Amino acid sequence: MISLAGITGSRPALIAVMVMMVALLGIPAVHNGYVEIVFRNILMYAALAYGWNLLGGYAGYVSFGQVAFFGIGTYCSALLNTHGITNIGAGIALAIVVNALVAIVLGIPILRLRGHYFGIATLGLSLAIQDLVANIDALGGTGGLALKQVDDAHFFVYYYAMWAVAAACLLGTWLVARSKLGYAFVAIRENEDAAVVLGVSPTRYKVIAWAIAGAMAGAAGAVYAPANGFIDPAGAFEVDNNVFPIVMSLLGGIGTVAGPFVGALLLAGVNEVLQRFFVKIHTLFFGAMIVLVVMFLPRGIVALIGMRGGWRGFRRSLGAYRV
Amino acid sequence: MSAFLSIEGVGMRFGGLQALSDVSFTVEKGAVVGLIGPNGSGKTTLMNVISGVLKPTSGRVMFANRAIGSVPTYQVCKLGIGRTFQIVKPFTGLTVRENVAVGAMYGRTGNGRTTRAAFERAQELCEVVHLAHVADRPASDLTIPDRKRLEVAKALALDPDVLLLDEVMAGLNASEVDAALDLLRSLTARGVTLIVVEHLMKAIMSVSTTIVVLAEGKKIAEGAPHEVVSSHAVVEAYLGSRFAARQAQLAEMKREAEEALRVEPHGDRP
Repeated sequence: MISLAGITGSRPALIAVMVMMVALLGIPAVHNGYVEIVFRNILMYAALAYGWNLLGGYAGYVSFGQVAFFGIGTYCSALLNTHGITNIGAGIALAIVVNALVAIVLGIPILRLRGHYFGIATLGLSLAIQDLVANIDALGGTGGLALKQVDDAHFFVYYYAMWAVAAACLLGTWLVARSKLGYAFVAIRENEDAAVVLGVSPTRYKVIAWAIAGAMAGAAGAVYAPANGFIDPAGAFEVDNNVFPIVMSLLGGIGTVAGPFVGALLLAGVNEVLQRFFVKIHTLFFGAMIVLVVMFLPRGIVALIGMRGGWRGFRRSLGAYRV
Repeated sequence: MSAFLSIEGVGMRFGGLQALSDVSFTVEKGAVVGLIGPNGSGKTTLMNVISGVLKPTSGRVMFANRAIGSVPTYQVCKLGIGRTFQIVKPFTGLTVRENVAVGAMYGRTGNGRTTRAAFERAQELCEVVHLAHVADRPASDLTIPDRKRLEVAKALALDPDVLLLDEVMAGLNASEVDAALDLLRSLTARGVTLIVVEHLMKAIMSVSTTIVVLAEGKKIAEGAPHEVVSSHAVVEAYLGSRFAARQAQLAEMKREAEEALRVEPHGDRP
């Protein structure tokens, strides 16, 4: 039997993540207020991180514009909502279709750029889309849009919708990573020139990765909008939502299936706790954590769980900084 | 009848540097063409043009009735041309088998091949190039000779009709070179046409059916190995004009001496 564990990352970590996902189904039963919202945000960040990880972790193209797709997704669902279609599934479907189209149309020129140039282009893109949305009156301009929500007794539907989106992103990443698509992405990441002579069309597969990444972020946005009840350009294109998915993927382990979830759970959880106890300086801890991870755990936490050489690499990186 | 693979007046200019000028030759099916020349003579540039990585600034390369330069680079392997890189380019984050499997998935015969079938094909090729024992190791663990073998296996995964090998023997020891030569012969036996760039003269002379010599971007000689090594132009390109002139002079003196000896009567013969 030929093992495919390499491209999906640590298998024990993946199993642990799947168990945790199932456990998270019980959250609304435990607490239907603050805790439910905290975990809904964790699931949202997980979905965003899964999207980023597919292009950034698997195909190796670091995007600073993941929030653009999240924002487009929120507006897709908000537009339907304010026109009387409050079905979350419809919002998600529209967000996926629109984002995939946007990713294909914009990706064909932008994904011809390599490395840093691509990163800067995506950053510019997300800022441009935010400004574009702020100037369209039909989308509420800078004032934003108020959405119709379900009554309090049914508020858990937003939680389960977000859970379904995150679960689909996890499953989607696992399926993609094991497929021929996953190997095309990794080949592009590892050496684009070598990938080309083996028959991999770089632009085509980068655009596919970006379209899936956009669909994932958009689906999360489509649930976030009605759950939040109100969206405006500043909130929908919040810069934190651009940075968090990258940091979460890094912390959990880029280019792995378990990584983004582990990262989202830890970072969003830690952030929540820090915010409660250190209102003013919680971002300091956050920043320090990022620095420590990059220094000592460049392969992410998942590398420590059942990946060959994980602990050895960690000890070696600790040793490298000994004075 | 048009040739199997023809290089027609290929020129390649990088800014002010004319890396190749008006290079033409044809390659017969099943041939082993050795491409030699001093450092900087344009061998790798020509390999890049034939594999479609570079579009020539003049002339063209014709294969299977298509001009290679008009086909997107990623589709050249689908026409049946595979290549290795002189500076090896393994996918270090993947295992050896996975590296080869990428070629089996996206190469010429990749369409409709499942990942599992691609892995099986990759395993076969790992055995062909003697990498089966490290097939599950990350490519980053490989030694240089093994990385060269991996390059060959990846190119073979494309099921090429023409295989371009760019210095796959550089850095190998004598027994490894012999193993590499055996591999090359087994490929020709399977009907693969080879274009080989190599600095090891002994190796390339023993395996090639034709030698093409480049110097300063121009083709200076073409022919069977024994013809090419005695060519004045080739000696001059490799060893300089003074050496070539001296060698020619020596050859002339030797011939004259032999001539003179021949007319001497052999008194002691019966």
